[in-house]
Amino acid sequence: MATTTTAVPVEEARRNRSESQAAIVLRRFRKHKSAMVSLGILAFFLVLAFLAPFVAPYPRDEPNLNARFLTPLSTDAEGNFHLLGTDHIGRDTFTRLLYASRTSLGTAIFATLISSTIGIVLGMLAGYFGGWVDTLISRTLEVVASFPTLPILLILSAVAVQNINVIPVPRPILTLMAWSFAVTEREAALITMIIFALAILGWTGTCRLMRGMVLSVRENVYIESSRALGASNARIMARHVFPNALPPMIVDFTLTVNATLVAESALSLIGFGIQDPTPTWGNMLNFAESYMLQYPWMPLIPSLPILLCSMAVNFIGDGLRDALDPRQKA
Amino acid sequence: MITFLIRRLFQMFVVTIVACMLSYGLLYLQPGGPIDQFLAERQNSGRNRVTEADLQRVLQRYELDLALPVRFSRWLIGWPTGPIFGSIGANWQVGCAQPGQVRLRYPDGRVEIVEEGCAIPVTLADLEGREASRGVLFGDFGESQTILRDRPVTELIWSRLPYTLYLMGASILLAILIAVPLGVYSAVKQYSRFDYIATTIAFIGASVPSFVFGVFFILIFSILAKQAGLPYLPPGDAVGTRDYYIPLIGNVEAGSFLDRFLHFIMPCAVLTIINLAGWSRFVRGSMLEVLQQDYVRTARAKGVRERLVILKHALRNSLIPFVTLLAGVLAAIFGGALITETIFNWPGLGRLFIQSLGANDYNVAMALLLVNVILLLIGILITDILYTIVDPRIRLS
Repeated sequence: MATTTTAVPVEEARRNRSESQAAIVLRRFRKHKSAMVSLGILAFFLVLAFLAPFVAPYPRDEPNLNARFLTPLSTDAEGNFHLLGTDHIGRDTFTRLLYASRTSLGTAIFATLISSTIGIVLGMLAGYFGGWVDTLISRTLEVVASFPTLPILLILSAVAVQNINVIPVPRPILTLMAWSFAVTEREAALITMIIFALAILGWTGTCRLMRGMVLSVRENVYIESSRALGASNARIMARHVFPNALPPMIVDFTLTVNATLVAESALSLIGFGIQDPTPTWGNMLNFAESYMLQYPWMPLIPSLPILLCSMAVNFIGDGLRDALDPRQKA
Repeated sequence: MITFLIRRLFQMFVVTIVACMLSYGLLYLQPGGPIDQFLAERQNSGRNRVTEADLQRVLQRYELDLALPVRFSRWLIGWPTGPIFGSIGANWQVGCAQPGQVRLRYPDGRVEIVEEGCAIPVTLADLEGREASRGVLFGDFGESQTILRDRPVTELIWSRLPYTLYLMGASILLAILIAVPLGVYSAVKQYSRFDYIATTIAFIGASVPSFVFGVFFILIFSILAKQAGLPYLPPGDAVGTRDYYIPLIGNVEAGSFLDRFLHFIMPCAVLTIINLAGWSRFVRGSMLEVLQQDYVRTARAKGVRERLVILKHALRNSLIPFVTLLAGVLAAIFGGALITETIFNWPGLGRLFIQSLGANDYNVAMALLLVNVILLLIGILITDILYTIVDPRIRLS
């Protein structure tokens, strides 16, 4: 401890003694203004996404061909007010945007949760055990990492979209997905497949990072001493290796969420990925883009959330990196 | 080094085959595919009705009557083209031209027809005399199935390649030319106002998705500029279809150099910005690291002019990691930019890939994917080799 206290100001050192690790990180993170603002923006969209079914003013898919392409803040012939206008078949854009937040953010978070779990578990096994386990995992990793991600993702997505009726997705998963995304089970099947595709291609970076972290953590004396005390491998991994390798993984998680969000939006934007009537920011932008010559305001509505969330997640990752890095001057 | 190369080449080969097998399997496992159109036309009545025999001919034409492994092997290496060694296995069944039908009669009187077994089997002997490609590994990509029906895939690729080459080439070159001075200047003036602004812009630039840039560019520089009566840029395609008038510039003749250039600006700008943001941060980081090295201090101490210290001692060394980063660009130059090309309707290879997936033209999609995988792998290999060349302390093993 003596070496670390000399490196930080006395006042902070005094505080450190009574503060938990998490509290220190939190305090540092709070100082990061752009990250805090970003957290607010992201929280705003998450709340919207969460509340979508409750606050949406109109049914999600109800077309009204008499009220197409209404501008934001306008009222249609029946006296219904449309905060963000209507789309090409007269559906309320605000309603769809709410549900789209749920689909887009949810897909990104679910996919990243899965891919990070795969990456962390495999990376930990490879780094901790070494030997043939490491060889097997590292070789698989090299193969998957050298695939061209976007083209393969497109192929997976194209196949999923065309055959969604014959792909057997287990019932409990469908029910869970339908409930989480507030969609029918039919739509949930495609969302599940897209999440699967994003996750299966996205774990390599996390795995490589985790393996590296575990390799360095493993050499610490406390690992050796707990082994000397007779701790099992499972216990050492869970109690010592995992917590000490975690900080970079948290940063990695935010950056992966961003990459996944952008990838999913890009997929839907070019007509693959999650399909209409399930709204996502990407496919809303896809339709808006087709009509942007006549209605230039249309693409702004779905692209702003993508832009804001993507930047917010990046800034949060940046803030977390600064907060979690112990070498950082506070 | 030699062992490393052999191991890596073997690994590259395995990765290529695995990637091809996965994508080929995925694409062809789904029903329909390239013959979807024919299946749809089969519903039609009248003179142009597609008969069962027509369908069989088309199936045979696209080899869809063969079992997946056989089809894959014929696609990959152009084998087997008939019985093995001329005689072995002439009557082995390798596919099915028409599935058999079984009539099921339920006890309650319902009748159901299910497909089972094979009415017209295809054997190895049947393959003899069939037109076959020499296999993609030997450079024969076969024929396009829907986009340019029955024309060679290579022809399609050659027609699109120039567009991708000059779009990617120009944007990458521009990005390097801007990113390096920007990164160096930021690093030299670390924590200055310029550095602060440049890093913030680069950070924001790196976190804005390319398609958002694309849409905003079209919105601002084509649509709003046109509506405001200002000079505007055409929003999509690589050449105009008819002459148009742009304020201050005058009449633009469709197909002229000016027309092509105007179409080129926006996609090129978007791709440049995307690369620029990441690369300038990269150069800044590596330059900062080099500036702290002892040899830079030594050079300064012995009185070398600051300009020379930066350009000769620091810059050259800081570009070492950057050079290896550029090796990955190889695949990008050929593969094009899927998303940006689609947004700007740019007729490059990236959009061709998306088009081929949309139109179920699997030969085209697989050809592009294969080339992409191979170039990506070569890029990785070049990077690794470049590492040892620029930094002799690294040994490949």
